[in-house]
Amino acid sequence: MSSSHEAAPSPAFLAEEVRRYHHFIVLALWLAVVTGAEIVLIFLPLPVAVVFTVLALMSAGKFFAVILWFMHLIYDKRLLLWCFLAGLVLAFATFAAVLNLFDAARIDTRWFS
Amino acid sequence: MSDTAAAHEAPTSTGIDHKKLIMWLFLASDCMFFGTLISTHLLYRKLFPAGFTDAEGHQRFIQNLFNLELTSFSTFILLMSSFLMALAVSAMHKGQLKSFRRNVLGVIFFGLIFLGCQVYEFTHFYHQGLTIQNSVLGSTFYVLTGTHGTHVAIGVLWLILLYFYSFTGKLGGHMGALDVEVAGLYWHFVDIVWIIIFTAVYLVEYLGPNGIWGSGLPAVTQ
Repeated sequence: MSSSHEAAPSPAFLAEEVRRYHHFIVLALWLAVVTGAEIVLIFLPLPVAVVFTVLALMSAGKFFAVILWFMHLIYDKRLLLWCFLAGLVLAFATFAAVLNLFDAARIDTRWFS
Repeated sequence: MSDTAAAHEAPTSTGIDHKKLIMWLFLASDCMFFGTLISTHLLYRKLFPAGFTDAEGHQRFIQNLFNLELTSFSTFILLMSSFLMALAVSAMHKGQLKSFRRNVLGVIFFGLIFLGCQVYEFTHFYHQGLTIQNSVLGSTFYVLTGTHGTHVAIGVLWLILLYFYSFTGKLGGHMGALDVEVAGLYWHFVDIVWIIIFTAVYLVEYLGPNGIWGSGLPAVTQ
């Protein structure tokens, strides 16, 4: 895989790693709190549309928090972000297209019975 | 990009290590893969709101089958494994091999717990009458969560190999850290896919009497 005969990391690099380490701890706590909030939210007597919207936003928040901090996209080159976003946009477009093209109301379910 | 990151800029035309770039492109393609699986599950879940028919011919509702406590525990475990993976990558960047090993063992342990929970869940569902063959819902559910579980299993295997490889003395320096970072990217991706599955497949079933898909659609039996 690789060779270990390389120069030691610079003090500036190590300081940056320590700073990220603290970010990771804070983020892990937030992720645990948001997941707990999601579970509480579904049992609250609120309109389904409101709960669903908030759930979707929380889920998207957790998703982007992980890719930005844990996966280092916020620290790395922008090209990586665009590469991943391209896949993500295509996935979401596929998702929207499938749900719209094959709308349940327009499918003859006799085929399945 | 920060100065410290620039200090480790790869000697490639993009300034990004090829291994890392390839992994990101793979993850982008995997996004589309899981996008289609989740879409398929949601579409058929909408088409068959009643859930499935068990061996005795009774209509069963999927939300009565789910164990929210177990799934929430699995989600928490996977999120914390992602945290430990971030610490393992950070330790490798700092050249702290012992810390890397400790954290990666934690990730492996949490990954195995997640897989154990999934095996328990599948077994429980099977005994309750939901199989991959007796309903469209079962097919899409098992294929989606099973594919994710396979990704987790591959990730666990990869990390076990990295753990033992670290004892050979060859996993060090910038390139060693890169190897661990690439494995970490894969592991975090598995985590973010589960974040979506947890909401789109499990949590929405608890909204309203028939889940988010509501009533008014025909309850189709097989």
